[in-house]
Amino acid sequence: MKHKFFYTHLIQITDVTIRLSELDLTEDEKNHLLSLMEANIHSAVIDTVLSELSKEDKKIFLQNLVSENHEKTWEHLKSRIEKLDVKITKAIENLKEDLIKDVLEAQKLSKESNS
Amino acid sequence: MPVKKGNSHYQFLAKKWTDRHRDLQSKIFTKHEESFKWFADNSKQLVVGSLAGIMLLTTPVLDKIPQAFSSGSAQVAQTIDKKVFLIYDLRKVLPSDVRALTPDEEKDVTTVLSRNFDFSIKAELEGKRLNTTYGIIGAEQHLARFPGDNMFTHFKNADDAQKYWSSGMAPGLGAWRYFTDASDALGVLTQEDIDREKYYIAVQTFLAPGFDSNTKEYTDFFKYRKMLVVNPQNGKAIVADIADAGPSPWTGKQLGGSPEVMSYLERFDGAQKGAVLYFFIDDPNDTIPLGPVNL
Repeated sequence: MKHKFFYTHLIQITDVTIRLSELDLTEDEKNHLLSLMEANIHSAVIDTVLSELSKEDKKIFLQNLVSENHEKTWEHLKSRIEKLDVKITKAIENLKEDLIKDVLEAQKLSKESNS
Repeated sequence: MPVKKGNSHYQFLAKKWTDRHRDLQSKIFTKHEESFKWFADNSKQLVVGSLAGIMLLTTPVLDKIPQAFSSGSAQVAQTIDKKVFLIYDLRKVLPSDVRALTPDEEKDVTTVLSRNFDFSIKAELEGKRLNTTYGIIGAEQHLARFPGDNMFTHFKNADDAQKYWSSGMAPGLGAWRYFTDASDALGVLTQEDIDREKYYIAVQTFLAPGFDSNTKEYTDFFKYRKMLVVNPQNGKAIVADIADAGPSPWTGKQLGGSPEVMSYLERFDGAQKGAVLYFFIDDPNDTIPLGPVNL
């Protein structure tokens, strides 16, 4: 991940990037896809977190998020959401499964177009 | 960057993941709409002034999209507030702290601004530059435009008076004294005079490199010089003119804006103060009007 967020320590995307590296991609294309993956993960995490918070805590969270104080954001979430790290990891893993399926499909397409 | 023929796997993934991300965002906004609306209404100081800008909260800055792909997505892109793109682009090139930009950073910012605005934008013009192009802006007061101008003669209409009265009138004059020397100014005050006061900024002309050794030349150059002032956090931009010198370096601020400039840019003073970008506009024929710029 290029950017640091409050959940960065929970991300492990090597399994997706390894599969991506098997595709014939230019550096720009690879960077673009990695950015899209990052954006998808970010949105999935935000959705997971917001879904667990009360109305007032959502407001605090959004403010913390924008201030980019990752430690403060994490501490606040941890005090409000039970098993926070498990829930975020699960959301990321679920998304990764879909992303890997997409890469496999892309690999198949690539083979078909080369044959 | 042209996309190679036959790399359908890239096109496939890029489209799939862009669509997925859009769907996710849409889901988030629908599910938590109330919170985002509250945030948009209450966060002028934090980041954004529109709901479109809130999208930034759920999207990290994306790497440059290959041209062939972005042109394919042009229809989608056009539906998004152009300010959001400006915010994105500036976030990618601005440092996290507010300080004078390095030559490379300044070049990148100039490129981004030039791409978004239809006029020539420069950090250095006629061999002259200010001490910085990125700084904290503070609130200035109204300036007297002619002898006798005061809070009761200053505003064009009741709405303006109501909106900007509280800023008050500066006890002294601007760097170039009155905007018109006419003694019966109420009769001859031109629209140009009015706009120059309304959309003025105060910059640290005295800190410009070379100012001390050629004060007269620099003072003439800075007088009513047009600058593009941009709030990089909400994408709002205004064409302003230099009509005062300041603030003092000890204030921790690098420039000041008239009440109208500050209001439009959604910038405030005190604990809530924030940064803006300010670059010269090369307008030798004086064709670019002062005031807010719509993207």
